[in-house]
Amino acid sequence: MINKKNSLIIFIVLIVGILFTSSVMAQETVELEMWHAWTGQDAFASEVLLPKIEEFQENNPNIKLKIQVIPNDSYRTKLRTQAAGGQIPDIMQTYPGSEVQPLVEAGLLMDLEGIIDYWTDDLIPRDSLSAYTFNDKVYAIPAKVNYTHFAFYNKDMLAEAGYTEWPETYEEFKVMGDALKENDIVPISLGNKAKWVLQSIYISTIGDRLTGIDYLEDVLAGERKFTDPAFIKALDVIKELADEGYFNKDANSLNDMEMRQAFYQKRAAMFFGGAWDIGGVIETAKEENMNVGIATFPQIEGEVAPKALSGVTGSAFSIRSGLSEAQKEAAIKFLKFFYSEETYVDLLRTGSFVPAKVDLPADISPQFQDVINLVNEHQIGPVYDAVLPINLIQTINNGLQSLTAGEITSEELAQKMQDNL
Amino acid sequence: MEHIYKHKKKLIYLGILPAFLLYLGFVIVPIFISARYSLVEWNGFSPPAFVGLENYAEMFGNNVFWRSLKNNMVVVLASVLGQVPIGFLLALLVNQKIKGRHFFRTIIFMPVVISAVIISLVWSMVYNYNFGLLNNILNFVGLESWVQNWLSNPDIAMFSVAAVIIWQFVGLYFIIFLAALQTVPDEILEAAKIDGAQGWKRTLYITIPLVKDSILASIVLCISGSLKTFALIYVMTNGGPSHATEVMAIHMYDNTFNGMKFGYGSAVSIFIVVFGIVLVTIVRNLFARFEN
Amino acid sequence: MKNQVKKIDKLKKIATYSILIFFALINIYPIFWMVMNSFKTENQIAINSFSLPESLNLSNYISAWNAVSLGRSFMNSFIVAGISVIITVSVGSLAAYFISRFEFPGKKLIYSFFIFGLLVPIHGTLVPIFILMRNIGLVNTRISLILPYVAFNLPLTIFILSSFMKSLPKAVEEAAIVDGAGYLRIFWSIILPMTRPALATVGILNFVYNWNEFSFALVLINDSKLMTLPLSLSLFSGQFSTDYGMQMAGLSMALVPIIAIYLLMEDQLVKGMSAGAVKG
Repeated sequence: MINKKNSLIIFIVLIVGILFTSSVMAQETVELEMWHAWTGQDAFASEVLLPKIEEFQENNPNIKLKIQVIPNDSYRTKLRTQAAGGQIPDIMQTYPGSEVQPLVEAGLLMDLEGIIDYWTDDLIPRDSLSAYTFNDKVYAIPAKVNYTHFAFYNKDMLAEAGYTEWPETYEEFKVMGDALKENDIVPISLGNKAKWVLQSIYISTIGDRLTGIDYLEDVLAGERKFTDPAFIKALDVIKELADEGYFNKDANSLNDMEMRQAFYQKRAAMFFGGAWDIGGVIETAKEENMNVGIATFPQIEGEVAPKALSGVTGSAFSIRSGLSEAQKEAAIKFLKFFYSEETYVDLLRTGSFVPAKVDLPADISPQFQDVINLVNEHQIGPVYDAVLPINLIQTINNGLQSLTAGEITSEELAQKMQDNL
Repeated sequence: MEHIYKHKKKLIYLGILPAFLLYLGFVIVPIFISARYSLVEWNGFSPPAFVGLENYAEMFGNNVFWRSLKNNMVVVLASVLGQVPIGFLLALLVNQKIKGRHFFRTIIFMPVVISAVIISLVWSMVYNYNFGLLNNILNFVGLESWVQNWLSNPDIAMFSVAAVIIWQFVGLYFIIFLAALQTVPDEILEAAKIDGAQGWKRTLYITIPLVKDSILASIVLCISGSLKTFALIYVMTNGGPSHATEVMAIHMYDNTFNGMKFGYGSAVSIFIVVFGIVLVTIVRNLFARFEN
Repeated sequence: MKNQVKKIDKLKKIATYSILIFFALINIYPIFWMVMNSFKTENQIAINSFSLPESLNLSNYISAWNAVSLGRSFMNSFIVAGISVIITVSVGSLAAYFISRFEFPGKKLIYSFFIFGLLVPIHGTLVPIFILMRNIGLVNTRISLILPYVAFNLPLTIFILSSFMKSLPKAVEEAAIVDGAGYLRIFWSIILPMTRPALATVGILNFVYNWNEFSFALVLINDSKLMTLPLSLSLFSGQFSTDYGMQMAGLSMALVPIIAIYLLMEDQLVKGMSAGAVKG
């Protein structure tokens, strides 16, 4: 019977029904603000990571990712400025070690302990997550492992100097360097304008070799010192390379492009770079008909860890703490999708190393297979700027420039590091 | 000359008001906030902790800071002694009726607008030790002893960089002087010619006094710009090698955004401002005394 | 005697042209280098950045335009830079007029107050301005850029305009006052036209500064649809490698509007004062 009372009830039910359904529907669309630094220049980003993000968006129309791409060089400035203003994104790319630590200590990031088993059960050993682990809690999942030390050398130029094989020992290496110098060739092209090159690429591996891979941890815990003769010896090696003219003289004012340019133009016999250079070197070598070999630093006398090779995880996402339940769910869903076995296998295809234990795909390039074999002969060691606190990173970065410019001695630098601890 | 309208004052203040408000809100207020930050220790993430004048004490005890101040003074001197006279000379030259003056007027200004990235890339190659244009020319004309490690040698890197800064901004003072020269009426110049004053004499005794306000303005701009200089050095050498080309603005940026010491960085900012006020005041007083 | 004068004149001309051509060459080279490399492929640049391009390869331009939506960035930069310049020059010239040609209590203080702004290093104000904008709720809008751009350009604008206006002869105003004209009228019809060269100067300087400004844009803009040109151009740098070819192409394109605006204003730079105004 339709009378006033009934129609009122029906009206109310309808309204409530509409409100309820629309709020449920509104609930279903979750927005996440996302920041990352993958501008698409690097193959691992353009071929794997960026398409992966797009795939996620397609599969999840009710999760809206508002993405901001900020180039690597400006990323920190923007993040720190906005964080200082009390605003950080919901999902953001974070950098390992002392870069992400202040965020953790300020309680800005959500720890992933609740879901970490998804990875640590089978895919990624917990050890590999150490760069993002604080107080036994993991705060990010990395996509890649960046080995920061490879020697890219011109086989023909070495042959002309009488070396058909990569020198086994550092002493042999120096003799070869002398031979190259005789022929007016710069043995090693170095571009240290950005300061981190000598630190991440050189001292990290050379240091790890001479001091052992637990050294930095021990120093930070107060059990060992920077003034240890082993560390000073590592600094001495770099100083020697500079003083004896194995590096180009203007190393501290050249950037990485100029460093590689000297190599490609055959003015230098080799340069040291990271895993990120592998793709570019292989490609350019093919174009220029260069015979390029990849190796690691020769054995130095007194090495404690002769197989050490510095590397650090990267390309990781962290989640902000204080998200709503719906947002948290969406963010976690994203992480699980993004950092999946498939992703790691795809990354291997682009010539990137991964922290996950996955089978090598059959279609990787033979050159990369060679590099993988090379890496497998080694043991991963810490990269200095992934482990040291910020002020020490600055001390050693600037210190290495001073060291190679002849402004200070190895002992003085070691003492400075110890004082700033 | 006094205007005697009654509501003149109101009109004056009203006219200045919009500029005043915008400037107050978005320059002065931020600087005061920054001054407050200079009194705390803050890494930008965790809550700040009040430390009074500790940041300033740390700053004045920091060798790197003093070096950065010295580097800024190199830029200031190079700019004032380089950009202003060269800019003025070029303005004089181009102000004449010469062929292609539109072209020259444009070209001389161009470096001011080119991105620091390009300038840095090109000039790095000029300064390159082995293959740079400069060393090649020196070798070619037999001046091998003058060949230097222009950007890697900590002793001379700052001068090499200062030269590029001078080069980049000459055009700025050029157009300021060019505009100023327009206020020198042709009649006066003609009259001077008839009186027998020509060329340099005329420039020195007639033109320069007539544009002295612009000269003072340019010097003040020079000083303020030199104390703030950041972009070009940042891209070209990043303050290196090992602080050799670090200027105060880079010192501040490095400590704030790389070292995560917002308090210390703010202290450096405040110092830049205060130091600038002192310098500019000295210069303006010198000019005022010179005028009398 | 006449021959000697002629000879000196000729020498002066040769000297003038030599100096100007020398400057022109060193000023033009960076632009030339940049444009040259914009036509090369990445590998070609890596191998030799001084060589001439093999062909006028436009692929970098097309890629650059599409990869970072340069069209949209151009528009954003135009809007932000343009509006900022208009506001700055308007309120700045008004303020400069009163400061430079009137006496009033507090004049010296106000002038120094504005000049003070010349000394402020902008990186020291990044965090405060971000916090300010956040509190006003303007983060991630074009206005959030326009306001600091105007504010930071006011000192320079007022400084140049007032020093220019100060040197204008008093005679022109006096005549108009006798005729009964109000100050605003004088400002608009007499002073401003005579200030044209300085207006062109600050117009150019303001536009250049706003067009190339990076730091505020980086910190205040979160929406990729609102990115200005410098932000978009910076996207050509990856963490481990930079796409130099696209970067050169992008930077070359970014230079065009500035050169265009400069040429537009450049004429005004040297327009002399009308003879009528001087003679009164």
